[in-house]
Amino acid sequence: MAAPVAPAVKARRHPPTKPPGTSKLRRSQRRAATLLITPFFVLFAAVMAAPIGYAVWMSLFQEHSSGLGFGGTERVFSGFGNYTKALSDTGFRDSFVHIALYCALYIPVMIGGSLLLALLVDSAMARAKRFFQLALFLPHAIPGLIASVIWIYLYTPGLSPVLDWIGALGGSWNFYSNDHVLSSMVNLCAWQWIGYNMVIFYAALQAVPREMIEAAVVDGAGAIRTALQIKVPLIASAVVMTVLFTCVGAIQIFTEPKLLNQRGAPSIDTEWSPTLFIWKAGFVQHDYGLAAAASLLLALLGVLLSYIVTRLGNRWKAAS
Amino acid sequence: MSRTSRSFRTAAAATIAALGMLATACGGDGGSTDSKSDGKPVTINYWTWTLGAKSTVEAFNRTHQDIQVKFTEIPSSTEGYSKLSNAVKAGNAPDVATIEYQMVPEFAGQGNLIDLTKYAGETVKSKFPATIQSLVTFGGKTWTVPYDVAPQLYYYRTDLFKKYGIEVPKTWDEFKTAAATVKKKDKNVRLASMPKSDPALLAALSWQAGGKWFATEGDAWKPGVNDTPSKKVATYWDGLIKDDLVQSFTAYSPEETKARTSGKTLSFLGASWSAGGMKTAMPDLKGKWAAAPMPNWGTAASGNYGGTSYGVLKGSKHAEAAAEFIKWLTTNKAGVEARLADLESPSSALPANPEMREVAAAKFDTSYLNGQDLYELASAQVDTIVPGWTWGPNQMDVYTAVQDATAKSGFAAGVDTGQQKAEAGITERGLKLAK
Repeated sequence: MAAPVAPAVKARRHPPTKPPGTSKLRRSQRRAATLLITPFFVLFAAVMAAPIGYAVWMSLFQEHSSGLGFGGTERVFSGFGNYTKALSDTGFRDSFVHIALYCALYIPVMIGGSLLLALLVDSAMARAKRFFQLALFLPHAIPGLIASVIWIYLYTPGLSPVLDWIGALGGSWNFYSNDHVLSSMVNLCAWQWIGYNMVIFYAALQAVPREMIEAAVVDGAGAIRTALQIKVPLIASAVVMTVLFTCVGAIQIFTEPKLLNQRGAPSIDTEWSPTLFIWKAGFVQHDYGLAAAASLLLALLGVLLSYIVTRLGNRWKAAS
Repeated sequence: MSRTSRSFRTAAAATIAALGMLATACGGDGGSTDSKSDGKPVTINYWTWTLGAKSTVEAFNRTHQDIQVKFTEIPSSTEGYSKLSNAVKAGNAPDVATIEYQMVPEFAGQGNLIDLTKYAGETVKSKFPATIQSLVTFGGKTWTVPYDVAPQLYYYRTDLFKKYGIEVPKTWDEFKTAAATVKKKDKNVRLASMPKSDPALLAALSWQAGGKWFATEGDAWKPGVNDTPSKKVATYWDGLIKDDLVQSFTAYSPEETKARTSGKTLSFLGASWSAGGMKTAMPDLKGKWAAAPMPNWGTAASGNYGGTSYGVLKGSKHAEAAAEFIKWLTTNKAGVEARLADLESPSSALPANPEMREVAAAKFDTSYLNGQDLYELASAQVDTIVPGWTWGPNQMDVYTAVQDATAKSGFAAGVDTGQQKAEAGITERGLKLAK
């Protein structure tokens, strides 16, 4: 940030017409840049690169015992053994299917919901815009774990007032049943994230040139047509970015399925999502090699997904 | 799946403080012997989730000059064991920890425990019944020292049993009949709840029926998670749940407790230690509960549901002092008395050592169970525990497999999946699987 400021200050003292001054300036600029960027690289190396390197190293070993197993364990090099073990595990493979199904429901609901709300708040007729922005954002201020606990309370038969009301009206609903548990989870996550993404979309909408909207209105476009054909294409990059973050977030989902599992939702098992599988491998089975290999595979998927979403997004933006 | 009332994790700060204490306290040369010569007491760290731990540690510290114990409360079940094995990996494990019998082979096999044969082998051999010794001795080595034995017990509401006109069931057939009677009299009330989320209870019921989830043959493991008796038990409960004769709440959950306190569940399948938690979980129902032997399959039999032992974790620099503390906890009168004297959370665990059993019985407050002599009842059940049961080298993994499959397709599918997982886990770790 400060790097471009330094030459500007210097430039005033030494007009750029003097070549010796420029080389001196470059040296000090380089020094400042190095100084300012070093903390980043130190932290990056310590908390990102080194742990990833360690995970790669760990993923190449397996622990073995023999006989009954009370003679101690032995760490043996297994090459890609842990990777094939993870990939051939039906639980691990199924967890990606679960996430895909979850995304298929969650992303349209969440992105569609946020976009709709942002357009409503941005529309000419909306009143109390500040209030709605804040009110809709509020759920996001609640930590995910607490939000899950609250919703699980509302979902649990015998404790939930919501279920009591449904019962009083003569209906019945089971939030944990195999058919409904996915929608229960999507509801929980969407509740937390709709407001957050709405704020991003709303901010992007503020940047849409007003004259463009006025022109559309003059040309006879109604409110809905203006929203869909003028505003939405203009904030496409914000939408693509949000979808990207949502995808990367969704493949790492942990808290919600973990708590639903503990509350006894039958179809959410202990390896429902990839992170749950990794957690179980590392902390229940104490198989750190497998956990490391599975984590790296998940990270790889994250990178791949980011690439695809960005590519598709660019094509969409170019087309519109 | 906590064996007693749910305990929550204490602040991480306490752990860090405890570790700091360890660092300042030893100051020795890092040898495995205790440096008492410098006059300073040895401080050992003790992590547990058991009831009555606080008063026990206070009593020990009051009466011992050369060893001081620093106690930290940790969560029970999976979370607690993760914490322990991670601490071993990180090199900051406590000296002493509570290890349930079901976890001893796995913990020892993964190299988390110090072989205690040298320090406590003799104690285990001379002071504990053979059925309990076999739960802590593997490969000819003593890995932990037993504290309690946990015969299954059946707890029921005396007032409501009278109201619905049912007798305490003595066999599983009678249990089924009683369950049908209760349902007929009130469609909102059930005789009991069978959780799908507590594989340890299913294991205890299989044990009672004569099943053996694991056995050793020479130097090979022989899993039998879906052997005939276990399958019989699984099918029995699948039937009761299918006919809606019992509830199936999540084990140790608020809704389970609520159903009990509101009189919607009339009885539950517990063990000797259950009584300690009832007093804190259901204080208003004092005097309305009684305990009975677990219904059986025709002949008196009991499984062991839970039960704890104490081990010294790898990396401890004070194994000898730690073993000293453990021996005091498990076989010293003062240790047992202190555990039961805890005012907030007294334990009702039944000591495995027969002498200590008498000490505990004399100290236990029987007022919650309307004066019933719980210890006499539980002691009598110890003799009916079916011998020959062994826990497996990948017990936790088998448990989660059983639990996952049970939640989806019932107990019978649960034990089948558990068996597959047991075999796969044994082979994967390079252990020998009996043909």
